[in-house]
Amino acid sequence: MELDYLATVLLSSLSSASILLIATIGLAVVFGLMGVINLAHGEFLMIGGYAALTATRYGVPFIFAIPIAVLVTMAIGAAVEVLIIRRLYGRLFDTMLATWGLSIAFYQLAVMIFGTVTPGIGMPQYSLKIGNYSLAGYPLLMIGVAMLATLFVYVLMTHTVYGMKARAAIQMPEMARAIGIESYRVNTLTFAIGCGLAGFAGAVLLPIVPATPSMGFAFVIKAFLTVVVAGPVTLTGSALTAIGLGGGASMTASFMTSVAGDAFFFLITAFLLWLYPLGITARWRSKM
Amino acid sequence: MFRVVNATGGYGKTVIIRDVSITVEKAEIVALLGRNGVGKSTLMRFAMALIPAFSGHVEIDGHSVPESPARRAKAGVGYVPQGRYVFPRMTVTENIAVAAETNGHSGRVAVESALREFPMLRPKADDLAGGLSGGQQQVLALARALATGPKILLLDEPTEGVQPSIIDEMAGILKRINRERGVAILVAEQDLDFCLSIATRAYVMEKGSVRLETDRESLRADRKLQQQLLGV
Amino acid sequence: MNLSLKEPRISTLAIPAQDQVRTAQEVGCDMGLSEKIYRNAGLIFPLLATGGALTAAGFIDPYLAYVATSWVIFGLLGLSLDLVWGRGGLLSLGQTAFYGLGGYFGSIIAINMAPLTGNTLVWSLPAGAIFGAASAGALGSIIFLARMGPLQATILSYTFTLLLWSLTQSFKITIGHAVVGGDNGLSNIPGVVPGFGQGAESAGPVGVFVTVVIVSAAIYFLCWWLMRGTFGRVIDCIRIDPQKTELLGYDIRKYQVASFSLAGAIAGLAGAMFGAWANYLNPSIFSVQEALLVPIYVLVGGLGTLAGAFVGAFAIGGLSYYLGGGAVGGQTTLILGIVLILLVLFLKNGLVGAVGELWRRTLPDPNAAARDAGAVLIDPAVLEGILVEAEEQAGPAKRLATVDLYKHFGGVIPVNKVARTFEPGRPYSLIGPNGAGKSSYLKVCVGIYMPEAGSVTVGDVDATNAPIFERVRQGIGVKNQKPQIFGELTVDENLSIAAFARTRDRQAAADVSRRILAMLGFERQAKVQASALSHGQQQWLDIGMVLCLAPRVVLLDEPAAGMTNEETRELSSLVRTLARHTTVIVVEHDMEFVRTLEGHVTVLHQGQVFAEGDIAALRTDDRVLDIYLGRREHV
Repeated sequence: MELDYLATVLLSSLSSASILLIATIGLAVVFGLMGVINLAHGEFLMIGGYAALTATRYGVPFIFAIPIAVLVTMAIGAAVEVLIIRRLYGRLFDTMLATWGLSIAFYQLAVMIFGTVTPGIGMPQYSLKIGNYSLAGYPLLMIGVAMLATLFVYVLMTHTVYGMKARAAIQMPEMARAIGIESYRVNTLTFAIGCGLAGFAGAVLLPIVPATPSMGFAFVIKAFLTVVVAGPVTLTGSALTAIGLGGGASMTASFMTSVAGDAFFFLITAFLLWLYPLGITARWRSKM
Repeated sequence: MFRVVNATGGYGKTVIIRDVSITVEKAEIVALLGRNGVGKSTLMRFAMALIPAFSGHVEIDGHSVPESPARRAKAGVGYVPQGRYVFPRMTVTENIAVAAETNGHSGRVAVESALREFPMLRPKADDLAGGLSGGQQQVLALARALATGPKILLLDEPTEGVQPSIIDEMAGILKRINRERGVAILVAEQDLDFCLSIATRAYVMEKGSVRLETDRESLRADRKLQQQLLGV
Repeated sequence: MNLSLKEPRISTLAIPAQDQVRTAQEVGCDMGLSEKIYRNAGLIFPLLATGGALTAAGFIDPYLAYVATSWVIFGLLGLSLDLVWGRGGLLSLGQTAFYGLGGYFGSIIAINMAPLTGNTLVWSLPAGAIFGAASAGALGSIIFLARMGPLQATILSYTFTLLLWSLTQSFKITIGHAVVGGDNGLSNIPGVVPGFGQGAESAGPVGVFVTVVIVSAAIYFLCWWLMRGTFGRVIDCIRIDPQKTELLGYDIRKYQVASFSLAGAIAGLAGAMFGAWANYLNPSIFSVQEALLVPIYVLVGGLGTLAGAFVGAFAIGGLSYYLGGGAVGGQTTLILGIVLILLVLFLKNGLVGAVGELWRRTLPDPNAAARDAGAVLIDPAVLEGILVEAEEQAGPAKRLATVDLYKHFGGVIPVNKVARTFEPGRPYSLIGPNGAGKSSYLKVCVGIYMPEAGSVTVGDVDATNAPIFERVRQGIGVKNQKPQIFGELTVDENLSIAAFARTRDRQAAADVSRRILAMLGFERQAKVQASALSHGQQQWLDIGMVLCLAPRVVLLDEPAAGMTNEETRELSSLVRTLARHTTVIVVEHDMEFVRTLEGHVTVLHQGQVFAEGDIAALRTDDRVLDIYLGRREHV
């Protein structure tokens, strides 16, 4: 009985951590590869959610609505990069403020277009029974999705020509151009991929987190802290931080209160930043 | 084959090089000599379009190449900057492969040939470039430039901070590349012996301009010029 | 003034030195009215605005007065951010945390204590300020003493705010009459009671407005005065170049924590006023929206202008008021978001900054004098006088000794067990090919790099583990390879701030800097921004700043780089004179320059002492030629 409960808590915490990781991964790509803190990341997640929702309303099966959401967010992301972000590279705090402006503008647009309350889509009805406890199946599925998404980004960035170019362009921008890499184009694509991953998160999490204009908001702060704590080895660092912080917070929340969970998250973040001012992976020798 | 014509450039509003013209013929090795701060690196960066040209341009095979580093690279200019600038969080293999793939060559083939050419890189192939020693990074930067398939290599202070044994090895490699692949080389250096051992012709710079053009023999013979030139 | 510009050479050379000082002052007196107003704009316009607000209070609609009061409070909160961000260089997202903490704490005190006096503000404002300062001091110590990067510092301050946000949601406590009820907030906060005694009554909306304007104006003028003085100058220097500021001997982290605490105090006080204005506080004061609104006020108004924060708060508050619907409803948010993006992209300096820039263009260019600066000619007698005086004040020259000093970066060992003692008398030169470890050796001596082994002694004091500023106070003066000057400050300010680091007295600092200014022949450039000087002049200015410190050991890293032949000759004579009074170590590439120094020469190679002696012997030493020319017969 006790053991059942513990297993349930563990599994659901792991699934919360996975959800955080799914929401974070796009931010990790954009921050880790481009040094840009995209505070509008949450709104891209929201756009993905609405895109998927709208697609399902037109009769597109949910599974196909996800790629539609990804394409929509990638396109918007590319436009944002060309119009705003490109002019601000190397000005970390200016990008933060500009993307924050973008974030509140997108939020307000969503309120105007969709209103503040929208019906969610039903969660696929299957569940897992552990002893006397039953867990919804879809959130558990997110553990697998998070693993796949991480793997996808890892392979994309380390085993493709694009990935090598993207990393070269951000590590030594001038030198990358001097060996023939068109850094501008590569950066637009990288930003678009980051936004596409946010869109993916928004769509895939739709059954769990219904689309509302403020849905991104719930994720972006934690996602953002996760990435900063992760440090330069972004992907691995973010995965670890998401599991540690997100899982820990979720555990704390299930044993205590949800506020205690949040407090745990912020407190540990502050503590880790104090211990590792440049992120936990600052001294690692590994590429992603 | 490769010409920098009337180059004037610098940083911000400050002019560092003024009206510099140099020519490197096909398969020729030319040295660019002069003390610290005379504008050798600036000229190299001008040639690579890494600084804005106030005036002047760069020609390859008689055609002017637009002022974009990526276009220059694709037109056949390979650049090894002072201070190496390898991609630190990429492996040795990736550093070479990305240069080759960007220019339409097979990364796998380029890595294989680079590891054959520079056996010292082989045991380090999967290490991050940032962890290599200075000499190894220099060799990697050279391998990376070669992987772009250049017609001309621009080497900026390739011996700086590199052990003497590796300097000798590097001189040998450069001569072989030049001989076997017909790649022209322009090398900015303070290490006179290194230059004398590979270059057949030299430009001497002073205060942002070319002061004289000379050949290997007269440079080797004239000890006074040597002392004056390098401030020794 | 125009006339003298046309004949710069003649005028500078023809006027004797003491008259030149007067010329500089006269130029100052010549200032037009517009220029005078411009220079004191930070005083005049806020005074006018305060007067205007107080006059307007007489007739405006009470509801508008009520709303506008909150804009003033937000402006004050913005001011606290501008101090740490615009002037200090750290984007703190923790200002609302200090604001909220100050608000809660000040209000709790006021609830309990106000019945004693009737007046509420004498309790809430000091309590809010003290609590704000204490919490900012604690957070600031962590940020600055741990030497966090800018991003991490911003994030940590943000996390601090978020932590409070989540904690206060369920934090319930009763302190005396004050009931803090988690997300129900803290209510029954007494309003603004200006009078004293039992019968004192709460002020109406207009009365509150007037009180808040007066308090905020007082704080603004205090900040304006403080940031205009030496404290503000040092804070500016830290933002521009923290390393150079420390190299002048300032304990920069102390200044950073102090200004961060001051900003915390202002935020806390603003929070206490907000509590009194709203009569109610809840955890949303710590929310993300609040935290991010503050930088917007500052950006809209103009970063680093202090007064801009109020302009920004009024612009945004006014816009929201005009559009109706408050800060969250309607299209206000959309417009705000777009305004923010456009501001970041196109109007980096905000409203105040943009107006100031337009105005500045109509004024005579203070940097024009930079162009007519002649070659620097140093009068040895003047220099001698300065050095003798420095010796009287700072004591005799000191030895600098290193024992088996060792430093490595990964596999590279730029300093490999170097044991040397340097004494006053004649200059020491460190030479060697590129990458020999010369600069690294100097940096370890100064404390920019910390050695892995060995020791550094200044005079008789072991300084191996001392921070940079302490070594400077022990008498080390350093000029790094690139000129390190504070480009946004004037030439005169650069020298005074250096002199003040030693004298700790404004008058004495002004005297020292005036003498150095005269020695360099920069009197006419005194009011020129240092960034407008040529590279060579910047090198001289940097050397001048080092001399202001009256150093007992002088380290010069490639001082002749970028100088003309004449300047190099002047420099050589300066170094030789300097060496008669202090210990001088010069790192140099230029062998000709080294030869003219007629001093002791040490050749470094691969981090080790390779050869020593005088230059004539070394020039004929084949081993030295080998390492320089890369000939390898002997190595």
